[in-house]
Amino acid sequence: MPQAEKTQSENSSREQILGRIRAGLRTVVKVEEPAATASECVIFEPINNPLERFQQECVANLMECALTADAASSARQLAEVLQSLPDGEIFVQDDPSLRRLVELAAPGRAIRWSSQGAPSEASQATVTLAEALIAQTGSILVTASCGGRGASVIAPCHIVFSTIAKLLPDLATALTRASQERTLGHNSFACVISGSSRTADIEKILVQGAHGPRRLVVILQSGN
Amino acid sequence: MSSTAARRFLQDAAVKSADLMHREVIRRGMDSYDAAHLKGRARIKDWEAARQKCQEIKREAINHLDRYLLQFEEKVVARGGHVFWAANSEEACAYVKNLATRFNVRTVVKSKSMVTEEIHLGPALEKAGIKVWETDFGEFIVQLREEGPYHIVTPAMHLLRGQIATLFQEKLGQKIESDDPAYLMAVARSVLRQAFFSAEMGISGANFLVADAGVIAISTNEGNGRLCTSVPRIHVAVTGIEKVIPRLEDLAVLWPVLATSGTGQGITTYSTLIGGPRRPGEADGPEEFHVVLVDNGRSQLLADPEQREVLHCIRCGACLNICPVFRHVGGHTYGTTYPGPIGSVLTPHLNGIKEFNHLSYASSLCGACTSVCPVKIDLHHHLLQNRRNATEAGATKSSERLMFRAWRHAMLRPRMYALGGWLMRKSLRVVYGLGLQGTVLDPMRKWNRYRSPVPLPSESFRARWRKDRAAS
Repeated sequence: MPQAEKTQSENSSREQILGRIRAGLRTVVKVEEPAATASECVIFEPINNPLERFQQECVANLMECALTADAASSARQLAEVLQSLPDGEIFVQDDPSLRRLVELAAPGRAIRWSSQGAPSEASQATVTLAEALIAQTGSILVTASCGGRGASVIAPCHIVFSTIAKLLPDLATALTRASQERTLGHNSFACVISGSSRTADIEKILVQGAHGPRRLVVILQSGN
Repeated sequence: MSSTAARRFLQDAAVKSADLMHREVIRRGMDSYDAAHLKGRARIKDWEAARQKCQEIKREAINHLDRYLLQFEEKVVARGGHVFWAANSEEACAYVKNLATRFNVRTVVKSKSMVTEEIHLGPALEKAGIKVWETDFGEFIVQLREEGPYHIVTPAMHLLRGQIATLFQEKLGQKIESDDPAYLMAVARSVLRQAFFSAEMGISGANFLVADAGVIAISTNEGNGRLCTSVPRIHVAVTGIEKVIPRLEDLAVLWPVLATSGTGQGITTYSTLIGGPRRPGEADGPEEFHVVLVDNGRSQLLADPEQREVLHCIRCGACLNICPVFRHVGGHTYGTTYPGPIGSVLTPHLNGIKEFNHLSYASSLCGACTSVCPVKIDLHHHLLQNRRNATEAGATKSSERLMFRAWRHAMLRPRMYALGGWLMRKSLRVVYGLGLQGTVLDPMRKWNRYRSPVPLPSESFRARWRKDRAAS
């Protein structure tokens, strides 16, 4: 096994720990069989209307979700959000659909594309796509392909553009799909993001905007 | 209870439980947790089934720990990451220190990780001349105060905003104009932003190691964990070997259950998966990715058929929050990395039963911890087992052993036992009659010091038994 040899040189304890684990596991632990296994129970309420649920969860997660009918209204929505932010560079995932959208929404604005590297610390906003939206928890699933790791955490505002086709009912569906499509084989990073950055470390009082974005905006387009 | 740790525990517990301010701060914090936790639980259709599912997942993982760890390692190594197996704290710290030296690291940003607290990684790096920034807001605060985390989820829950404002004023060298939590967070954000963008190494923990996908899963709300693992050139994840789970899909239950038990949220804001260094074509990310798998006594627990399940723990903090002892004595009193019921169960295994046996008694055995544990660890019975194990290992005080020997002797001789009972009733009656209860002359001092004496019966149990039998 070449890999074992590779790690062995720098890692004298590896075999010792594995040996202890295997020795320990030789002790058989008897478990009382439960009346029913958990897989026979319905743990989470099934989601009948994913869009409605997603919107509700967005509100609960202190996210903004704007439903748009077509590309033109998505561009208007994006323009509106960008206008509410201070002047300065924005970072955009280098994707043809976002190039078209940003051209319409923010002509003349300084833009750094993800193909040029990570967002700068001074970026006012980042604009990215998502791999999926998850209704159950009001989340977006991003990967390194969505403009990289910093794209969803460095700027004070993260704007996600997605079509409604990417909306999945629940976490289980999203994770099963990620497994099947080997999403993590193609990406060194993925993140389920459910709201803006926050903390409650002082007296359990909720503060929005800790180290990451204060605003997370989802522009959800239902048509073409 | 003769160990230094035990004496210190009793002293600190007495001080903390009489500290009204501390009680008020903790009560408020726990009230707000309780409300959020109950609301969170109500969002899950079948909470008991969710707990059972999590227990099944963790049991499967732990019962095949070698297989799943190897699967995880293989995937990470295939993606260009490194996996280091550390038998103890020294090995883990030495590995990270050597990495730092090799890559000329001068500044480290850390996100929250209880395992790094357990192995004292921060101090080890500081000793080597490396500046370490704790970047979780709560951890940042307790680091400035030069103390350990008070709680495994909310490290600074024992402090009021005014104390934090004063602390920032003293330690950060800037004028603090308000004690508003949002303002204080903004101050910390701007200080730590500089740290994030100048650090060469980011250190994180991991909530789960996903075997089939070969990724680590980190749950954070603030986004500091995201920055630690995105911006610096090197990312090191330090975690315990027991964190492994079999499948990516398992997170569909574990993530919501961890968040619900930890803070009452439906899911933690950033549920991150990382499987290696930046890949060619990716916009950013570290060039180096290292996972340090820490054993530090964990593998010994596998051989204990009663307590193997202690390794199921996902460190949500629910048992701390509900524990009446924790609520009275607070987190620091335990004097351990992991406080509360899970800490009292685990610490004797990690740090020695002789020194930490007293923690098995820091419990009323009410079982509240067991009732909330999201992976159904039978915590209060494990405390009882630790008591028994300590006694069998001779870790109890000689006076306690002597007392029980005398009691056993009397129990086997009914007359002697009756005489003992009679003497006790008579002498206590005299002590109470003279108003000396709770003083050094009171044999029941330990109980009576803080409580009203239990009313003395007029006759022995056996006398009453005989009378009742004769009457019926």
